[in-house]
Amino acid sequence: MFRHNFKYALKTLFRNKTLIFWTFAFPIILGTFFNMAFSNIESSEKLSIIDIAIIENDEFKNNEIFKSVFENLSDENNKDRLFSTTYTSEDEAKQLLENKDIIGYLKIENNNPKVVFTTNGIDQTIFKYVTEEVTQTSEIIKNLSEEKIKQAISSGNFNVNYEEIYNRIVELTQNQDVELNNISNKKISYTMIEFYTLIAMACLYGGILGVVAINQNLANMSSKGKRVSVAPTSKIKVIVSSVLASYITQLIGIAILFVYTIFVLKVDYGDNLGLIICLAMAGSLAGLSMGTFVGTVFKANENAKTGIIISVTMLGCFLSGMMGITMKYIVDKNMPIINKLNPASMITDGFYSLYYYDTLDRYIFNIVSLLVFAFILITISYISIRRQKYDSI
Amino acid sequence: MNNIIEVKDLVKKYKEVKAIDNLSFEVHEGEILGLLGPNGSGKSTTINCILSLLNFSKGSIKIFGKEMKPDAYDIKAKIGVVFQDVAVFDELTVYENIDYFCGLYIKDKEVRKQYVEDAINLVGLEEFKKFYPKKLSGGLLRRLNIACGISHKPKLIFLDEPTVAVDPQSRNNILDGIKKLRDDGATIVYTTHYMEEVEILCDRVIILDKGKVLATGTTDELKELAKIEEKVTVEVNDIDPKYIEEVKKLKNVDDVIYTNNVLLITYKKGKNNLVDMIDYLKKESINYNKIYSERPTLNDVFLELTGKELRD
Repeated sequence: MFRHNFKYALKTLFRNKTLIFWTFAFPIILGTFFNMAFSNIESSEKLSIIDIAIIENDEFKNNEIFKSVFENLSDENNKDRLFSTTYTSEDEAKQLLENKDIIGYLKIENNNPKVVFTTNGIDQTIFKYVTEEVTQTSEIIKNLSEEKIKQAISSGNFNVNYEEIYNRIVELTQNQDVELNNISNKKISYTMIEFYTLIAMACLYGGILGVVAINQNLANMSSKGKRVSVAPTSKIKVIVSSVLASYITQLIGIAILFVYTIFVLKVDYGDNLGLIICLAMAGSLAGLSMGTFVGTVFKANENAKTGIIISVTMLGCFLSGMMGITMKYIVDKNMPIINKLNPASMITDGFYSLYYYDTLDRYIFNIVSLLVFAFILITISYISIRRQKYDSI
Repeated sequence: MNNIIEVKDLVKKYKEVKAIDNLSFEVHEGEILGLLGPNGSGKSTTINCILSLLNFSKGSIKIFGKEMKPDAYDIKAKIGVVFQDVAVFDELTVYENIDYFCGLYIKDKEVRKQYVEDAINLVGLEEFKKFYPKKLSGGLLRRLNIACGISHKPKLIFLDEPTVAVDPQSRNNILDGIKKLRDDGATIVYTTHYMEEVEILCDRVIILDKGKVLATGTTDELKELAKIEEKVTVEVNDIDPKYIEEVKKLKNVDDVIYTNNVLLITYKKGKNNLVDMIDYLKKESINYNKIYSERPTLNDVFLELTGKELRD
């Protein structure tokens, strides 16, 4: 009987066009849109190399800090390279600028660094910003003792944080207020957060399948449920087989989404594929449990319950950063309890921690949170389902 | 005579409202028992209580001599139910739907295959096996609903208004199928508010209203309860009120009602009432389009017992 019901539950799920849309097609469509929308942002993060010139006069030659910084930021081997620098005379630099071979040039005169442009733009802003940063660093060093300066300069150990400069520039170009990359050595990808929430959404949409499994088998929810209830079979057995079919359908949907995003959209989820799958399975279980809970506790038709699942999922994903990472930041900072209870955030944070941390503590915490969340909702559903007769149907 | 179902002093309350009020009745082996009553009379509630789907406040229910409980699987295995609402999966074909519900009762695949085919033949869906429910007409859908409920060849069948909103062809097919099930040995509880179906099908009838049994018996026994013997209906173009008063004074006439050019004359007793009326109309030169005589119906019985029409 278990196999019989399981077989037909799978058939009904896979032939239900609405369910297939929400659990299979919608996440793929949304992922495709994300990819189209955010690939531009990603490419803008990879700044193009800016052509500049530096007037190679004595003052520049004697200014170790400027020399070192611009050499470094023009080094072809530097992953944070910003500039392609031509060291030249002022006349030649003017000529290059006029010919638009460079966007501007730097001249140090009387200890005063000056950048010269003919037009304004983002490249000019970056050039100016770097110059100002280096000037400030120079001022700090000036306040140190002469001996320490000599030591620092001779050892090349003055404090210029190239990565910080690069990241600040990335932020400038994106006009983003949120700084995400101060917690790890790895650089954040905004698109990754979107894809994490997308996976979270797909996992939680499993709730729709959970609703169907419950609605079709309970006498107080549907006529089909009445028919199942008068049959000589254990109600729990029928429901467990239906829920298992829903879970497998859900996992197939998630697997297709992973395959599509990895191989078609070229999303890099990092290493640890096994752990990623575990998290997706735990997330799907949480989604399914949400469906069984809504299915048993609320007495409404299937469409209304599906509406509840979609609404709760979208709200959860919104709070965990789907529509803008700023929201996740705001919630984490001001009301952390919300995202601690939000399954979408647990899933997103699990992926995030797997990608950015070397240890698994935070990942395991998220997995355990999802399992506890699922356990509580399934227990409540079970208590409700166990009832054998109803006051009204 | 074996009692397949015994319901004693059944009370079902929805808050303070009594949906079933001390209901007691038996269903005998091999009969078709009609539960007749208007909408809201407690027919479906009674069935749901018998099937252990609904809690009830008081009373006892025995099926096949045993107390009916939600986990009485041995009893449930012998019961088939066709609910009022169509309960099939839109995603499964006709064959698959019947196979699914049959599979909740019959484990053996080969036996099930034969049972499914038998059910399809019984309701006349041979040409629609591979159709999905959305492609079926209302009547065919009702037939599928019935096939899903009876495919496992149950000994006791509940049919809750199975012909609601069904075309005449499907209705005849369904009624023939039900008779065949009875002929094959099944005991059937049939709820409806269509008295014609009860008269055609049922061996015995229980008339319900407000959760109470108003009367029980065969259709002929119940008709005895009606105080009228005959009804004559005359469709006229127009009639002078003085003639209506005169008709009331004719021999055997109990009452005369005139509405919308229809003259309804009821007789308590007597013979040749129709002939007498035709003679009277001829004598008074009253033109009429149609005249016919009827024996009392179950609706008249219901009217007699409750003061209201069965389909109110």
